[in-house]
Amino acid sequence: MPQFESQFFSSLMFWEVVSFGILLWVLWKFAFPPILETLETRERKIRESLEQADRHRADAECKMQEYEAKLSAASKEAEALLAQAKERAQRLLEENEQRLQVEAERIKGNAQREIEHERRKAIEDIRNQTTDMALLAAEKVLGRSLNDADHRRMADEALQAVAENYKRSR
Amino acid sequence: MENPLHPFELHQLVHLSLFGLDISLNKAVLIMWVVVGLAATLLVLGGTSRRLVPTKLQSLAEMLVEFIRGIILDTMGQDGLKFFPLVGTLFVFILFSNLLGLIPGSYTVTSQIVVTGVFALMVYGLSLVLGFLLHGIKFLGILVPPGTPGWLLPLMMPIELISQLARPISLAVRLFANMTAGHVILGVLFGLAITGGVLIGWLPFAFTIAMNALEVGIAFIQAYIFTVLTCVYLGDAMHLHGHEEHAH
Repeated sequence: MPQFESQFFSSLMFWEVVSFGILLWVLWKFAFPPILETLETRERKIRESLEQADRHRADAECKMQEYEAKLSAASKEAEALLAQAKERAQRLLEENEQRLQVEAERIKGNAQREIEHERRKAIEDIRNQTTDMALLAAEKVLGRSLNDADHRRMADEALQAVAENYKRSR
Repeated sequence: MENPLHPFELHQLVHLSLFGLDISLNKAVLIMWVVVGLAATLLVLGGTSRRLVPTKLQSLAEMLVEFIRGIILDTMGQDGLKFFPLVGTLFVFILFSNLLGLIPGSYTVTSQIVVTGVFALMVYGLSLVLGFLLHGIKFLGILVPPGTPGWLLPLMMPIELISQLARPISLAVRLFANMTAGHVILGVLFGLAITGGVLIGWLPFAFTIAMNALEVGIAFIQAYIFTVLTCVYLGDAMHLHGHEEHAH
């Protein structure tokens, strides 16, 4: 086999060691460090990005829960407010009604009292005027003045008659 | 028919000598230079563009580095990474030699037993030096597999010694034989294709195409095996009995 021709051994070994040494030095110095560094940087970047993404997602979930809690609290509050407002409106309505009724009663009572008062006054007026008119008429008829006692007696009699008449007519 | 071993023949191109040592240039030496130039260019250029989103060349270089790093981490663990430059250069050198040898008219450097032998001795020698430096005389315990009963020692130690000595030899011969055999088969098939003429010759020619594809795979696999075994031997020396014995 040509590979066992020993005349080439020394040059092959020498140049192999030299070439390998040069390649080793070049790669060690200029190739491997930057490549390894780039790989590590990328690895770190990816890991960091993933961690960041995880963190962001956790944050987002947390926020979402917070918002949901807030939302449900707000809706509960709104419901409570609505119920309160309804209740208040109902109460106001009832109060108003009651007050109006009371007011109406009061006005009605007042009116009745006034009517009664007016009626009494009217009756009194009528009585006084009738008495005066009767006295005037009697004076004209008799042509003379009666004394005061006569006056009173006759007036009373007349009044009696008027009152009786009035009662009968009612 | 052409001699299938013809592609492995070397001829002196330029005569050189250093202190009486014959260091004449020949085709294999020139191809070694091409290997070094190509590997250095690819990896240095790939390393200089340190982009987060890699360019194509950068991707290739990073893939290589990542691959080698994976091998080291799998076999030696985290503290094996200090051998990264050596193991990486070894892998790159062998891989490029194997692949360049597949180009017709080129020369397969790793089909020279003396070249693979130097690599094997270098790796094995380093593992021995490392073992004795780290563990002192206790490194001889590598001859005693853990759990061996005392009365088996006289039997086990010679066997382990042979297995240890077989390491560099198997390392050297495996790569040399694989590279040589592949090219011999290709040479034979090509010879058949030429002598067979158009009528029959297409059959061996078709085989050469398939064989060439297979050879590309073998070029990768042999470089990988050499690197993995390097890592295993260095790892054995580093963590004495820390790992299981690996089959050869």
